[in-house]
Amino acid sequence: MSKALKGFLCGLVLVALIAAPACRHKTTPVKPVTQPDTAASMTVPPVPTTTTVAPPPAITQPSDFVTETAPRVTSEELSTNIEEANRQAQLRGFIKDAFFGYDEAALGADAQSALTDSANWLKKNSQYNLLVEGHCDERGTEQYNLALGDRRANIVKQFLVTLGVDAGRIRTVSYGEERPFDPGHDEAAWAKNRRAHLVLVK
Amino acid sequence: MRRLLVLLLPLMASSALAQTQITTSIGQNQAATSIPIIVPRPDTTLPLDVYNRQFFAPFTRDLTYSGIFALTPYPPNVPIDAALAKQLKAQFILLTSIKVEGQEYVVEVRVIDTNNATQFGKRYRGTQGALTRMAHIIANDLVRMANGKPSVFLTQIAFASNRDGNFEIYLMDWDGGNQRRITQHHALSILPSWSPDNERMVYTSFFGGTSDMYIISRRGGARVKVRTGLNLNTSATFSPVGNDIAFVGSVNGNPDIYVVRDDSSNLRRLTTDSSIESTPEWSPNGRQISFTSGRGGTPQIYIMDAEGSNVRRMSFEGDWNDDATWSPTGEEIAYTSRVNGRFQVRVQNVATGQSRILAGEGSNEQPTWSPDGRWLAFQSNRSGQWQIYRMRLDGTDIQQLTFDGENKDPDWSKKPE
Repeated sequence: MSKALKGFLCGLVLVALIAAPACRHKTTPVKPVTQPDTAASMTVPPVPTTTTVAPPPAITQPSDFVTETAPRVTSEELSTNIEEANRQAQLRGFIKDAFFGYDEAALGADAQSALTDSANWLKKNSQYNLLVEGHCDERGTEQYNLALGDRRANIVKQFLVTLGVDAGRIRTVSYGEERPFDPGHDEAAWAKNRRAHLVLVK
Repeated sequence: MRRLLVLLLPLMASSALAQTQITTSIGQNQAATSIPIIVPRPDTTLPLDVYNRQFFAPFTRDLTYSGIFALTPYPPNVPIDAALAKQLKAQFILLTSIKVEGQEYVVEVRVIDTNNATQFGKRYRGTQGALTRMAHIIANDLVRMANGKPSVFLTQIAFASNRDGNFEIYLMDWDGGNQRRITQHHALSILPSWSPDNERMVYTSFFGGTSDMYIISRRGGARVKVRTGLNLNTSATFSPVGNDIAFVGSVNGNPDIYVVRDDSSNLRRLTTDSSIESTPEWSPNGRQISFTSGRGGTPQIYIMDAEGSNVRRMSFEGDWNDDATWSPTGEEIAYTSRVNGRFQVRVQNVATGQSRILAGEGSNEQPTWSPDGRWLAFQSNRSGQWQIYRMRLDGTDIQQLTFDGENKDPDWSKKPE
């Protein structure tokens, strides 16, 4: 717990250091910006409905945390180019991918937390529909992994629907092991590739 | 290829060849005997790189791999005659000539025995682009005559390749020659599977944003989408009898085995387990379907009757088994089996359950049988990239067939000719 707190405080310092420039320069490196998000999501309940945890208002926070204290982050700030909008939405933590264990399609605590944040943003930004892509690491076989990716994508869809996102807005597709995010052949790469990838669509 | 005409028929009774001791009993997997034969270079005025690359190399390769003929080495720059053949313990000499007549090639083939008697003679005529095809046709005729059964030289292997960017569907000859692309989706297109008459293929493409099944004719023409109303639509495979396609469909994240007619009618669900089911494949008589299921905790091979009943588990070794495919006789299945963390091709007797691993470097997946049951093609990443290879059933004579880009999902055509 103290470790988490430490990480959180580190995150706050980082936010203070970089959040302001991040507003001005959209080419800010990914890593420092996402770090505060990670710290925050570890310390909040799965469905954050209050602002009891009050990180400093910053564009790097999910919209739920800033609705009371800062101008609401709307999709207008996302690019009209859908690919760029997706990049921005991922970078700012509006939507977050869910990651899975090996040959598993169950949602762990981290995945549930990420999807809860995503659901909250999606509910407020109904102009977007969602495509959930199921992905697997390369260690299985192609055909079985296509089926496993389908299961992953649909478990994420069902979780989002449970949290109130309209099922009609969500489509799924499985890419199995066809489109790895990291082409590496080690556990670090495989962990990144076992995911349900959230994609905004118009 | 129908323009390729076989013109002049036997110079002498061609049945004579089959009536001599050439009538061999060829085992399923190995040649019991092979016929020693001398095959001199063709008599032709064509440049070496043309006649050799387009004709003589594939022709002699076919004969070498036929399991029926054994090519007898002979001294260079010596005229080949019956006496020399006898001395070298060859039974026959196979003489070929290639002539150009207008826009066509004319290939004449003559088999003479050690008494200088012509046992077989035939003339073949084809367009210039068809010279390699003629080599395979002639080799097939020779095997057919000696063996009474067709060879695999005229078969095709369908596969997916990303050599042009996205994975698309391609075809190649059995020896890796004549590789050509047959889909233009500019989107992920994978897992081709032949119809039993070799005329069509069904495959999965993502070009519509979701994964869907399409049927395409080998001779070109429009593709037809198979509409199921389900997700996934992967691992499609034609029934060997009738017009059914088995595939993996999914509703709410529960992938199961379904069957649909090729006109998108009569959708049926064969499995109802809550686990993942995948990778159906019909037995050659169409009465059974093998598939992969995670119901036991890990992906394993199961077999059910074609209506979905009578499910029994087939694989018990390895912690990940997939890609089952039946031998042409239905006696064996080959599948991908993970042994010590590495995928290997396993061949298992359906009745006894006994199996053997065909060892190889790297990961080796998605085996597919040649229609004569003597070869398996598969994909391996042993070179660092996915490529398609071919081997005999005992794991020997491994040959790499693809080299350009990454290549996977091989499916061998079902009919020999």
